[in-house]
Amino acid sequence: MDDVVPTSAEGIEGSSYPGPYPVGAYAAQLKRRLQEFARVQLVGEVWGFRPSRVRVYFELRDARGAIPCSMWRNEFEALGTPLTDGMRVVVGGGCDYYPGSAASSPSFSFGVTELRAAGEGDLLVQLERLRRRLHAEGVFEPQKRLARPPLPRTIGVVTGERGKARDDVRAGLHRRGWGGRLVWAFAPVQDRHAAPRISAALRELAAIQEVEVVIVARGGGSLADLFAFCDESLCRTVALLRVPVVSSVGHHTDRTLIDDVAAVSCSTPTHAAEAAVPVDCRRARAELTARAKRLHDHGRRAVLSRARTLAQLSRAPAEHVARHRRRLHQLLRELRASARRDTEKGRSLASVHLLVLGRKASVARIERDRGALLVPAVGTSLARSASGATGRRSRDLERLRLALAAHDPARTLERGYALVEGRDSEPLGSAGAARAAGRVSIRFHDGRVPAKVADEPS
Amino acid sequence: MTGQTYETALARIEEIIRRLDSGEAGLRETLDLVKEGRDLVDYCARELEAVDKGLEELRLEELVARLETGARDEAG
Repeated sequence: MDDVVPTSAEGIEGSSYPGPYPVGAYAAQLKRRLQEFARVQLVGEVWGFRPSRVRVYFELRDARGAIPCSMWRNEFEALGTPLTDGMRVVVGGGCDYYPGSAASSPSFSFGVTELRAAGEGDLLVQLERLRRRLHAEGVFEPQKRLARPPLPRTIGVVTGERGKARDDVRAGLHRRGWGGRLVWAFAPVQDRHAAPRISAALRELAAIQEVEVVIVARGGGSLADLFAFCDESLCRTVALLRVPVVSSVGHHTDRTLIDDVAAVSCSTPTHAAEAAVPVDCRRARAELTARAKRLHDHGRRAVLSRARTLAQLSRAPAEHVARHRRRLHQLLRELRASARRDTEKGRSLASVHLLVLGRKASVARIERDRGALLVPAVGTSLARSASGATGRRSRDLERLRLALAAHDPARTLERGYALVEGRDSEPLGSAGAARAAGRVSIRFHDGRVPAKVADEPS
Repeated sequence: MTGQTYETALARIEEIIRRLDSGEAGLRETLDLVKEGRDLVDYCARELEAVDKGLEELRLEELVARLETGARDEAG
């Protein structure tokens, strides 16, 4: 601290140390001193890789110790070497110190300027080898084939008794509105005894007929912490269970082997609980009520609408009849009204006729009376006229009779003439006709004389 | 109702409602579907009721003890 000037603040009484120096000046000098450390290469496994906006951070670990490392993000990305936890790497660089400020925390790190992958980390290598083998054997398949009940009534949970996962599972089930029976099987979740205990708990839960699904939950941790869940024997146990297992081990970036074997793997215990109860009970209750109502409405509508139609149909004939009845009533009313009108008219006409007839009758009576007086006079006059006419006609007839008598052949015969007749009493008016007839009849006024026409010599 | 689950029942209810909504079902079919739908709703409601009794938490050993007691009672 040669070039650092102590402050005017009073130091600790009795202290043999120099100072007090301003902390920022000390931090700056520490940074300089650390940077003077020799730049070296280190080898170890990457853990807790964490990128930030400008730098990436991780720890380099081996069995004896660890050191925090950081690297400029652009330099890291230029390498094109993605880092995963457990990966073995060689880094080159040197010590660095960020002195911080009034508003930011200081930090020590090994500033990495060079990096190369040195093969997979031992744990990861083992893990990948086992994963490939189990996959090849089909150990990951049986759980996927199990039917998961949509509404399990009893759920088993394997977890640490004091872990946060326990509360998270409860929260997930609560979120689903699930209120069934939850069976806790507590087991250690991270030491070397963990895997057999977890396996035992799973077997015991699966042995209970009522248990329909099992959740295996554990919060986050390093891969080493989670390694119990990569145990081969545990994986084989899970694969053989009759109940589906929903797993949630570590954070979403971690992938243990039990996650591969389980029917479903989830990123958090809360999600695992939700996956164990696929149906959101709260929403399902509301939806079921709505569906029940719709069914009820359909049933009611189907009957009501048809009943309404039937009622309309059944009313139709009645309405038809009623309509006709109304029409008939109307016509009847009109007829009555019309008849009344005609009667009135007829009555008035009849009275006119009656009057006329009356008058005519009276005229006739008068005429009759007058006729009675006239008839004798007329009779006399007629008789008189008749006798006049008869006399006249008698005279005319006499005259005609006399005229006719004058022309009657009988009258001529009476005067001495005779008439020659043929055989058929036809008058023969010529000598030739008489000769032709041969036999003739000569008619006198007092009778006929047959005669024969004598042939005269010519 | 062998093999029926809440989900299959619900899917059938949806199918029934779709058919009824289409308006193509006659009266007899409608009444049959409504009856089937009601039965399925009852089934679903029972399933939901079974997990609506309030969360019951038990330790595995408690449940085992309870089941064993029950088995003994039945046997006795």
